Amino acid sequence: MKNWIYRGLFFFSPDILFAFFVAYLLFIPDVKAEILGTVAVGLAVMIATRALFHKLGRRFFYGRRIDAIRNILDGYKKGRFIVANPELSGSDDLSRIYRELLTLGKHLSSIINTQKIEIEKFQDLYNSIVFSLSTYYMILNDEDKIVFANSGLCEKFHFDQNEIVNKRIDEIFYFVNRRLIDGIRQVRRYENSVVLEKTHLLSIKKVSIIADIKISTMMIQGKKLEIVIIDDVTNKLQKDYQISLMSQISESIQKDDEIDQILHTILTGVTSGAGLGFNRAMLFLVDGKGENLAGKMAVGPDSFDEAIYIWSSIAAGNMKDDGTGIEKRKSGAELLEKVLNAQFSLEEDSIFSRVMKNMKYVHIMDLWGAEDIGIEIKTLIDVMEFVIVPLVAVNRAIGVIVADNKFNKAPIGKGDIELLSIFASQAALSIENYVRLDTVRNEMRKIGERQEAIVESEKLAAIGRISAHIAHEIRNPLVTMGGYARRIQQLAKEREKEKTKESSGIRDAAKIILSESERLEKILSNVMDFTRPARYLREFNSLNDVIIDTVNLLKNLLLEKKVALELNLENDMPLVKCDFNQMKQVILNLLQNSVDVMPSGGTVAITTKSVDQSAVIKVKDTGSGIDSEDQAAVFEPFFTTKVTGVGLGLAIVKKIIKDHGGDITVRNMPEGGCEFTITMPVPS
Amino acid sequence: MAKILIVEDEQHQRELYALELQDEGHAIDQASNGKEAVDMVKANKYDLVIMDIRMPEMDGIEALGKILSKDKKIPIIIYTAYSNYKSNFMTWTADAYLTKSSNLDELKNKIREILASRSIA
Repeated sequence: MKNWIYRGLFFFSPDILFAFFVAYLLFIPDVKAEILGTVAVGLAVMIATRALFHKLGRRFFYGRRIDAIRNILDGYKKGRFIVANPELSGSDDLSRIYRELLTLGKHLSSIINTQKIEIEKFQDLYNSIVFSLSTYYMILNDEDKIVFANSGLCEKFHFDQNEIVNKRIDEIFYFVNRRLIDGIRQVRRYENSVVLEKTHLLSIKKVSIIADIKISTMMIQGKKLEIVIIDDVTNKLQKDYQISLMSQISESIQKDDEIDQILHTILTGVTSGAGLGFNRAMLFLVDGKGENLAGKMAVGPDSFDEAIYIWSSIAAGNMKDDGTGIEKRKSGAELLEKVLNAQFSLEEDSIFSRVMKNMKYVHIMDLWGAEDIGIEIKTLIDVMEFVIVPLVAVNRAIGVIVADNKFNKAPIGKGDIELLSIFASQAALSIENYVRLDTVRNEMRKIGERQEAIVESEKLAAIGRISAHIAHEIRNPLVTMGGYARRIQQLAKEREKEKTKESSGIRDAAKIILSESERLEKILSNVMDFTRPARYLREFNSLNDVIIDTVNLLKNLLLEKKVALELNLENDMPLVKCDFNQMKQVILNLLQNSVDVMPSGGTVAITTKSVDQSAVIKVKDTGSGIDSEDQAAVFEPFFTTKVTGVGLGLAIVKKIIKDHGGDITVRNMPEGGCEFTITMPVPS
Repeated sequence: MAKILIVEDEQHQRELYALELQDEGHAIDQASNGKEAVDMVKANKYDLVIMDIRMPEMDGIEALGKILSKDKKIPIIIYTAYSNYKSNFMTWTADAYLTKSSNLDELKNKIREILASRSIA
């Protein structure tokens, strides 16, 4: 309502009234000229009045309210939304606007406050996330100089956060991997990001880690900077590596590697950065008698320069230590030699014998200050801080591992020792397994030999059973045939008196049948002798008696075949537990064999002598010897080079000798002929 | 002249022995298995029995026992193709253990030997 009153007033404002008045005067001619002048004056007055009214009137009417509103706006511009004492309480438009502005200010202020709290909360969360990550980061400028490094990174690498600012990265790390430099360049050039996996870093403070490094670029205040995020994966990698190492160790055991290789693999696990990360490791094992602890293997550089060289070669991408093993061994030659020459008695009291006895690790912080360590061990180890861990395999210490950080002088933490202990127990089992496997292998070999013997005798037994069966089946009809042939021969002989051509023909035919069936019978009886189940009489007999007895039997045969006999029998031969007749068979068969191989005569020499716990018989002939390819086969059943014969003579000999627990071998003599050597056990 | 029982399952062999021994002047009876032999020994008086071992129905070992239980003094020669029965103690009760051969001389000699010793006794 009040609006209209103001509008009405404004409608009848003085300049309009004045305009009406002027217009009226213009209609009066007399005053026309006068008026024109007056109009000009009036217009000027009007304009001036109006300007004055505008300038002063507004100020007069609205001044305070506008100022207050302006104050608020100024406050808003500065971020202040709350006005302490509201100045205006009027009910005009401006006052209302003013109050609305105040309310709005309060509202905005509360919104901003809540957001601020939210932001702070988020920032806290963000910070705690960032700091709880095992991530370290630094920001580099375009000269590879450090602009900023987070506190985690400084803590990890033992840097002072202020000192390293403005240093180049190769001033704070011992060597900077080619990969890392290339990575940074690449990021700078192509503005992408790069991930370098499993990179080895060694700080000037000698802290060494393996990290996945992510490099990316960012713009800060118009400047291009690189952020290098270092993600420490040493622990994760150590676990992976240990697992792979253990499998590598068991693999190398299966591959029948030398024990040296296994020990070296174990120590590589102790020393490699991805393994337990010790600088040096030595391994000692108990000797066979359990009296001494002998140095077996050592891995580690001989000097700091060597250490740096090895680390840098690993960092060059050689994470896996397969080829470097030999390299390392070469580089640590001095240490290895010292360790291999070291030996400590377990009966004497020493730090080693104590670790072995208690089966518990010892952590020495000050070698030279320790009074209970002998000078010999001190000079060998030669480092202030080290740890000795027993190799315990199933409740028994089989050796020790000595590990230290001689070169980077990093303190040995409890965690390191725990890891080493776990590793050592696994390694001990591996070594123990290897030793056992070796024993098993030997046993297997023995069993294999025994099995071969069993197979051989089984083979003989099977042949025996088969041939016994055949022999008996054949013998009966053979006997009948032969019997009748003999009868025919007999009958023909009687009729011969008649002197017919027919009868002599019958007789000749019968004679042939007879001789052939006799030959068959003879073969069969040989086979049956061979296959007869062995039931030996075991009595103490003199082998000389056996030989003399047999020779007497064969005297005529030898004479007939023009074979000379030489006997060299030792007088006081020990008695041998054997079956006299079977041994006679042996000599008989050997002599028979000699006679057969010397169809145009020769000499057989039989020698006896006692050697250690056995009686030895040698039968030597002057025949043509045995072809080398036949040597293994001469004792096989049914092996023969003769035109006639079954090939059982020597097989029977071998069977009888084996049944008596003896042995028989044959060899060609340089002067020609061959010599059979029988060795019979003599009961003690 | 003696009365001899030949116990042998192979007919031809048995007949051969019979022929050969008849030529020697002996009276021969034949049995083709142990059972027949036992029956014949029960029914007749023999001076000698030649006994095979592997035979159907009743083998020589069993027959040996039964014959001996009937007549403890009857001479028996085991004549077999097998030498491994030597280890069976029953064969030890026989007067001789010979392995078969187409040459019957060994058998004939043994018969002569046994009959001679018996006639003296």
